[in-house]
Amino acid sequence: MEARNRPAVVIDNGTGYTKMGFAGNVEPAFIIPTVVATNETYVKSGGSVTSAQHSAGVMADLDFYIGDEATPRASSYNINYPIRHGQVDNWDSMERFWQQCIFNYLRCDPEDHFFLLTESPLTPPENREYMAEIMFETFNVPGLYIAVQAVLALAASDTSGKMELTGTVIDSGDGVTHVVPVVDGYVIGSSIKSIPIAGRDLTNFVQQLMRDRGEPVPPEDSLDAARRIKELYSYTCADIVKEYVKHDKEPSKYIKQWTGLNSRTRQPYSVDVGYERFLAPELYFAPEIYSSDFSTPLPEVVDKCIQSSPIDTRRALYNNIVLSGGSTLFKDFQRRLQRDIKKLVDTRIAASESLSRKDATFKTQAVDVNVVSHPMQRFAAWFGGSVMASLPDFYTSCHTRAEYEEIGPSICRSNRVFKGLT
Amino acid sequence: MILFDQESRILSDALVARLKESEKPAEVDSHLVEFDDVRYHVQAGAATSHITISIGLPVAPPGAAVAGGLGGSIVPLGALEAVEAAYGSYAKVLDEPEKGFDLTLEVDVSKVPTGEGEQQKIIRSLASLRSTIMAAPLRNILKALSSEGGDPQSPPSAAAKPTALSYRPKEAFYVTRDAEKATVVFPMNFQDSNDVIIASSFLQEFMEARRTASAQTAPFCSYSKSPPLELKNVPPAALKANAGYVSFVIFPRHVQGDKLGRTAWALLTFYAYVSYHIKCSKAFMHTRMRRRVEGLIQVLHKAKPETVKEKKTASGRTFVKPT
Repeated sequence: MEARNRPAVVIDNGTGYTKMGFAGNVEPAFIIPTVVATNETYVKSGGSVTSAQHSAGVMADLDFYIGDEATPRASSYNINYPIRHGQVDNWDSMERFWQQCIFNYLRCDPEDHFFLLTESPLTPPENREYMAEIMFETFNVPGLYIAVQAVLALAASDTSGKMELTGTVIDSGDGVTHVVPVVDGYVIGSSIKSIPIAGRDLTNFVQQLMRDRGEPVPPEDSLDAARRIKELYSYTCADIVKEYVKHDKEPSKYIKQWTGLNSRTRQPYSVDVGYERFLAPELYFAPEIYSSDFSTPLPEVVDKCIQSSPIDTRRALYNNIVLSGGSTLFKDFQRRLQRDIKKLVDTRIAASESLSRKDATFKTQAVDVNVVSHPMQRFAAWFGGSVMASLPDFYTSCHTRAEYEEIGPSICRSNRVFKGLT
Repeated sequence: MILFDQESRILSDALVARLKESEKPAEVDSHLVEFDDVRYHVQAGAATSHITISIGLPVAPPGAAVAGGLGGSIVPLGALEAVEAAYGSYAKVLDEPEKGFDLTLEVDVSKVPTGEGEQQKIIRSLASLRSTIMAAPLRNILKALSSEGGDPQSPPSAAAKPTALSYRPKEAFYVTRDAEKATVVFPMNFQDSNDVIIASSFLQEFMEARRTASAQTAPFCSYSKSPPLELKNVPPAALKANAGYVSFVIFPRHVQGDKLGRTAWALLTFYAYVSYHIKCSKAFMHTRMRRRVEGLIQVLHKAKPETVKEKKTASGRTFVKPT
């Protein structure tokens, strides 16, 4: 059987979590933290690496763990996060991470499958070359495609089956939030905006609120507890003042109880969950409550991003604003965002109309603002990858091993845009 | 990770999702492919009480020990019996396997015991379906070795033709049984020319490692570039190997009791094991290359002529040394 007849392997490496699985499935087979725990003793021995290895007898270079198996080994191993802010930072760890993903988790032979990997929108082309080198040289993959996460997120939200691939993607994961305009499958690089507020900041904020209030959370568990509370109870409110009033009037209805387990003593503890339920997602709409460095709300950033894109694409970009990533899952997030962006757009149109109102023949056509939310939001990029890699065009758009051997890693600097059946 | 686990992680995760969460069973439907071209399709509706697991096996090479499966498929010799023995109490093999697969197993959820430990055991054994099926003929040969080991009553003819067992698409390994030992020979083939070279030295080292004190009880292992004598009756066309031949000699003590399953699995995945370790050693070499390059770059940086920067005071005046 040829590699083209087997499903491609789709690996989406994010700052926080890696999603991996086989193309054609609806869900990734594994979602694991992007963490590697290595045993550095054999490297530290300096120049005499070979002798140290021989005397060690253990295969120290194989003595490492990834994902959920890595985190509990923090005391005896070196923990490192190979991806920082969406970009690969430590290639040694990354190579090992992939090695385990392929052999231990997916248990496939990399020589048998085409691979689809992802990258964040602002990755330099050199990184893509490096990725290709590792994939082709170490793993001997027959073909590779490196896709931009934002484009995949668009493909994931596409329900019409037409694969228009035009829209604005709000990608908010653990590390950073990007607003990326994509037109016909091409990213408009100059208009990408990023916001230094993402899942981790929300968690910190919740942790801070609970600490200030003096909830009985053991300090070593507080970050994890805050994350769980954020994921379980947060929602987006329409009006923050009204929400405060609601909470104060009916505390029994709005204030939740959460019970956690102390990781060391195994004693249960219980905490109240109050205002942080709506204050955490509020960070996107009023960042000034969390940090003084950054104060532009998300709707405004989205608006600015679209306004800086080419004028003929703006309507289409407003029409299809797609959410992707775990930190966009809050209840009613999509409605609030749509309302706020619509308000900004309408104000601007009204202003320009009032300026040109003197001749009554002029009438602007209303701009449709649509924020799309869909069930695959949490791993939208992976799902999009799974969809794209099942299209018949995928195999012809990949860079093949033959091309790599003929030309070299530079072929992976650009990756053909394809849209399936057109 | 040094050896491959018998259980497939994806399969066991899917089973856990369906069986453990008895309150709200998850809907499972996934296709996956493992090394050596073994394909699975797991399907379980949330409402139905069945989980179907279909498995597709690699295409067997001509002359391998196979038997006709159900619905016109071909499965390794003795696989159906092994499946029946392992899963018979709660699952049945469908008469007509799913299209494109070689065997479909239907697990009846209601018959799976709900006890924590037992359920865990069943999930483990279902997740190692591949081992049950593909290692069946090898297990039977090795089992016979341990049960009648050293029995002079039934010495197999000395010039016994080696049995070919399918383990990779269109590739086989060979087992010859003597009175008190079995010899397993793997012809090693690699696609990539670099891999061939790394494999040769890896296998050489692998053979040497057998001599260390800690590996005294391990099966005897030899590596040669030419086909060993055990294979003299095999047609040379089937014996292509660009990275030589590895043979293991298995004695009854290697296959006693629990060891049988593990030994059979380790032999069955030998190619995958070597291939995995070639990739690992390449990754390791890359790590060292990167370190070396970093060191060399540092040397280059040191060699850069230092430009003397003019030092200024806060008010912007400079001190000039009077000459």
